[in-house]
Amino acid sequence: LFFSPQFASSFSSETALPPNLRLPSNLVDPDRLKRPPPPEDSSLPLIRKCDAALPAHLSPVRTWVDTLESKDSEPLGLTELHPDVFAVTPRLDILHAVETWQRNYKRISHANTKVRSEVRGGGRKPWKQKGSGRARHGSIRSFPPLKLNCGVSHGPRGPNSYYYMLPMKVRVQGLKVALSSKMAQQYLHVVDSLNIPTPDSQYLLELIRNRHWGESVLLVDVSQEFPENILQATANLKTVNLIPAIGLNVHSMLKHEAVILTLDTVRFLEEKLLWHDERYTFLYPFKLPYSDFP
Amino acid sequence: MAGSSLDVLQNLPRITLANLRPEPGARKNEKRRGRGQHGGNRSGRGHKGERQRGTRPRLGFEGGQTPFYLRIPKYGFNEGHSRRPQYQPLTLKRLQYLIDLGRVDPSQPIDLTQLVNARGVTIQPLKRDYGVQLVDEGSDIFAAKINIEVQRATEGAIAAIERNGGIITNSFYDPISLGILIKPVPFFMRGQPIPKRMLPGEDMVPYYMSAENRGYLADPEEIQQARRALAQKYGYVLPDISKDELCHMLAMRKDVRQIFFGLSPGWVVNMPEKKILKPTDEKLLQYYSS
Repeated sequence: LFFSPQFASSFSSETALPPNLRLPSNLVDPDRLKRPPPPEDSSLPLIRKCDAALPAHLSPVRTWVDTLESKDSEPLGLTELHPDVFAVTPRLDILHAVETWQRNYKRISHANTKVRSEVRGGGRKPWKQKGSGRARHGSIRSFPPLKLNCGVSHGPRGPNSYYYMLPMKVRVQGLKVALSSKMAQQYLHVVDSLNIPTPDSQYLLELIRNRHWGESVLLVDVSQEFPENILQATANLKTVNLIPAIGLNVHSMLKHEAVILTLDTVRFLEEKLLWHDERYTFLYPFKLPYSDFP
Repeated sequence: MAGSSLDVLQNLPRITLANLRPEPGARKNEKRRGRGQHGGNRSGRGHKGERQRGTRPRLGFEGGQTPFYLRIPKYGFNEGHSRRPQYQPLTLKRLQYLIDLGRVDPSQPIDLTQLVNARGVTIQPLKRDYGVQLVDEGSDIFAAKINIEVQRATEGAIAAIERNGGIITNSFYDPISLGILIKPVPFFMRGQPIPKRMLPGEDMVPYYMSAENRGYLADPEEIQQARRALAQKYGYVLPDISKDELCHMLAMRKDVRQIFFGLSPGWVVNMPEKKILKPTDEKLLQYYSS
């Protein structure tokens, strides 16, 4: 099914949107889609080619490379992205699995209730077994309606861990699927580096608004040390966030509308994510040195 | 391929945290007894009696009649099963597959370490695995000249390898040496000196000393005779190895007490600094060279 609502209202006289209209954020914004993927015969230079060898039946994905130097500049050039990382089959079930894993594997629920043996008191038989006419009970703390402070038989018991690990290759595929779906829906942008002329947050916001990147933006760079300008600019912004490439995860990618990668990040991600396609299974932990593969 | 599904994605709403759901049919609700019309009432326990009340006798009880499992007399079919040596089978078909894909290098002597590094076999020394055995399924397809060292081999496998001009040896590794052989890197990280390989036990010595099995303790002349006999039995011409280019590599064999090809027992390998330390004390040298 194809879902493409129009922003324009059905009344021909009114062209502006009513002021109290709240639109859901995942509506397709026509301004955003005005930039089609680069054509075959564009004049801009090809800045980066794929490092890894491509299979013969796949062709690389081409994208524009932008700059953050000025607010509305033309794209600098083109990049080729590896199809086995940025154009994999969009497995939404893998995305769901990785997202729930990310949420739950750190979860420790501290909910704890006392069983009838742990509730204070209640060792004595409240009334004799036969003759009193009431139901037979052994302790005050067994169950209501004896006393409301009874023990819970099948309640949550103590700190409970929900830790589990998905296989490494599933988590890697989750990253690849997230990147591919961002690329396919045109929320992924490549930038040459994260250098900004001014440490001004407004500059960043206007840049994002001019280029129609979206409401929330995730900026990814390879190194853990970012340029000071961008650190200051994003420090007070809630919707624009920085992460190093090692911290890239499915949850953050789905939470932010647009994902901006630098060329170094693209190279790093391709290298790390493609390694898992052709590697042996491990014999001993990866931390110990292997001579066969890096 | 992935192209058409990605094109479909372009026209669909943005994938967000609110849009994700598992595949239909992936999550099935669990059965809850004692709740509702279908789970409640008798809760799947049946009507009265031992079934509903949970007081059925133990498995195998036949109402007082001597049960089947006590009528039959004991016999030691599985006696000592957990102490019997097991050998992980390796077919010649799989070996040829590994060589063709380039995971095993036929121009070097093929050892258990090489096979495990190529992920061709999985050995569990803690489960009484004593090594790998060569099985002759795929002997008609096999065509590679290799110097291979296994722990057991069938006659057909030996014939197939020698028909192609290779060399096969059966050698024994005690469990500790096997553990070291399979995973050399974790052993080197421990910093212990390489131990000497123990000799086989009483019951395995005749196997490893016979020439028909190409045991490593057998006489080389007897092995030559056995090679000719096997060639005659299976009907192929025994190729001459001494005139081969790789004859030096094919003739490489480990010493009886040696675990790794280039390393002797007693040496300590320092992985982080990439150094090998050799003992100099007389007593140690005497011990390790015995």
